Amino acid sequence: MELFANLAHGFAVAFSPINLLMCLIGALVGTLVGVLPGIGTIATVAMLLPITFGLPPVGALIMLAGIYYGAQYGGSTTSILVNIPGEATSVVTALDGHQMAKQGRAGPALAIAAIGSFFAGCVATVLIAVLGAPLTKLALAFGPAEYFSLMVLGLIFAVVLAKGSVLKAIAMIVFGLLLSMVGSDIETGASRMAFNIPELADGLGFATVAMGVFGFAEIIRNLDHGAEMDRNLVQQKITGLMPTRKDLVDSTPAILRGTVLGSILGILPGGGAVIASFAAYTLEKKLAKDPSRFGRGAIEGVASPESANNAAAQTSFIPLLTLGIPPNAVMALMVGAMTIHGIVPGPQVMQKQPDLVWGMIASMWIGNLMLIIINLPLVGIWVRLLRVPYRLMFPSIVVFCAIGIYSVNNAPVDVVLAGAFGLVGYWLIKHDFEPAPLLLGMVLGPLMEENLRRALLISRGDWSVFLSRPLSAVLLAIAAGLLVLAVLPALRAKRDEVFVESEG
Amino acid sequence: MSDTPSEAPVKSILPEWVRGPQDFIGGLAMVAVALFALWASSDLQGMHGFSFGAGTAPRMFAVLLLLLGAAVALMGVLKDGPNIAAYSWRGPLFVSAAIVFFAVGIRPFGLVVSAFAAFLIAALGSHETKWIEAIIVGACLTLGCALLFPYVLGLPMPMFPRFLIQ
Repeated sequence: MELFANLAHGFAVAFSPINLLMCLIGALVGTLVGVLPGIGTIATVAMLLPITFGLPPVGALIMLAGIYYGAQYGGSTTSILVNIPGEATSVVTALDGHQMAKQGRAGPALAIAAIGSFFAGCVATVLIAVLGAPLTKLALAFGPAEYFSLMVLGLIFAVVLAKGSVLKAIAMIVFGLLLSMVGSDIETGASRMAFNIPELADGLGFATVAMGVFGFAEIIRNLDHGAEMDRNLVQQKITGLMPTRKDLVDSTPAILRGTVLGSILGILPGGGAVIASFAAYTLEKKLAKDPSRFGRGAIEGVASPESANNAAAQTSFIPLLTLGIPPNAVMALMVGAMTIHGIVPGPQVMQKQPDLVWGMIASMWIGNLMLIIINLPLVGIWVRLLRVPYRLMFPSIVVFCAIGIYSVNNAPVDVVLAGAFGLVGYWLIKHDFEPAPLLLGMVLGPLMEENLRRALLISRGDWSVFLSRPLSAVLLAIAAGLLVLAVLPALRAKRDEVFVESEG
Repeated sequence: MSDTPSEAPVKSILPEWVRGPQDFIGGLAMVAVALFALWASSDLQGMHGFSFGAGTAPRMFAVLLLLLGAAVALMGVLKDGPNIAAYSWRGPLFVSAAIVFFAVGIRPFGLVVSAFAAFLIAALGSHETKWIEAIIVGACLTLGCALLFPYVLGLPMPMFPRFLIQ
C-alpha cells in the first residue's frame, strides 16, 4: 500500500531526534504563547515565524505546525480557565468550558478538550494521508485556467465562511492582491510600485505584513481597552484531571460528530476551523435531549467544538499540501515560511519533497500526542502564566516582534514597515475590515497573476477560456453560486445565527 | 485619563446623508488606496498583444479595489451603520515610537540598548505601567533576546553600541 509506505516514511523522518525536538519545542512554545491572553493563533504563528528561519526546511515546518496546534491548544485552555478565548476557534469552548471550570470541573473540561483534540488529530492525520496523493494527481492535471479558477473559488469560500460583510472581505482580498504586486515583476523584472526603495525591490515581506497587521495591530487595539483586561480567573486549584465515566460516555459521541464535521469543513477553503467549532456546537445543541444544559457546563459543548476545530485545523493542510492553495490565514503564513525556505507550495511539493510533506504529517500526530502527555500535567504552570499582567506583556511582545522582523533580512526598514502595517491594521479593525482575507490575497496574488497570464497567453488573449474549459467553468460557477447565496438575505441570517453564540 | 477614547461627536464632520460613517470612510479610504496604486503603476507597461505587461495585473487589481471601495462607501450611504469608532492616541503613538526607535537604533546602538529602550518606550503606551517592574522585566527580556537570537537561533546582529566596541 502506497499510503502506509508514505506514512511510514513520514514517521521515519519525524522520529529523527532533531525533528522530534523541533516538534516538542514548537508545541510547547505554541502553547505558551497561545495561553497568553490577547495573542491569537495567527499572531502567534506570525510572531514566531522568524525563529524558524535558521532551521532546515523540514525542521522549520514541523516546528511551525507544532506552534500552530500548540497555540490552538493553549487557546482552549484559556477559554476554559479564564473565559478569554485565545482565538476565534475556541470562542464556543468558553461557553460551556468556563461554566464547568466555575463548577470546579476545570480538570475534566481540560482533559476532554485534550482527548477530543487528540482523537480528532489522529483521524485528520490519516485523512490527510489518504486524500493527499489522489488530490495531488488531480491538481497536476490542472492547467493555468483551472488553477486560476480554483484560487478564485478558494478566496470566495474564505469570504463566504468568514464572519462579517462579504463585500468588505472581498475588498480586503483585493487589497492583499494589490499589496502582493509591490516589488519586481516575475516575468519582465520591472520594478512595480517600489518607489526606488531597495528594500521594496523584492516585494513587501510576508512576515513583515503579517506581524504588523496581526501582531502590532492587535496590541494597539488591546491597549484601547486599557491594559488590564477583564479576567475572572478561576482561582481555586485544579484538582482531579480525570473525567468521570459519565463524562466519557457523554462526550464520546460528541467527539465523533465533531471530528467528522470538522474534517469536512476543514478541507473547504475558508475559516475552516472557526466555522467548524461553531457548527459543531450548534449541532450538539440541536441533537441534545435537553438543550438548556448548554451554556451551563455541558461537557458535550466542550468535547464537540474542540474536536471539530482540531480536525479542521489539520485537514486545512490538505489544500495547502496538495494544491498549494492556503485555505486560511495561518496556512498563508505557512506558505510564507515555505517560500522563505525556497519551497514553492503546490502539487509538485509532494513528489519532489516527500520528506517534508510526510514528515510534517507524521509530526502532527506525534505533536498531538506530545500535547496531551505534556500539557495536562503542566496546566498549573499555564494557569500561573495567565496571571502575567498585560502591562508587562505588551512591551515584551513589541520588542520581541521588532527583533524578529529585523532578524529576517537584517533590515531596519522592515521593522518600520511592520510598524506602519500595524497602524494600517489598527485602522482596518476600527473600520470593521477583517485582516485575515488580506493575508490570503497577499499570498495568492503572485500565483493568481502568473496563472492568469499563462492562461491568457495559451488562449491567445481569449478570456472565454475560463468558461470554455469545463473544469474551470464548474469551479467558477460554484464560486458565483456561493457568492449569490452569501448575499441572499435568508442565508445571511442563517450564517449570522451560527456566529451569534460568540456575542452571547 | 486623557488616553481613553474620547466620545467626541465625530459624525458632525460628515453630512446628514451618510448613514454609516464607518463604512463610508472605510470605502473611501480603499478608493484612495486604489487611486494611489493606479498612479504608482501608471509608468508600467500595459498589455502588448495578448500578453500581460508588468503593469496589467496591478492596474487590474487597483480598478477592482476602486470599484469595491466605492461599493463599500455606497453601502455607507444607503444603509444605517455604526459610527466611526473612537481612536485612542496613546497606544498607537508609543508602540509606533518604540518600533521606530528600535529600527533606527539597532545598527548604531546594538540589540541590548535598543531593545531595552524600545521596551520602555512601548511601556509608555499604557498608563498602568509600573516603572520598577517594567525596568526589571525589560532587562530580563533584553537579556533573554540577546541570548536567544544570536546564540540559540544563530541569527547574527549587533549587540552593543558601535562606539563602545571600537
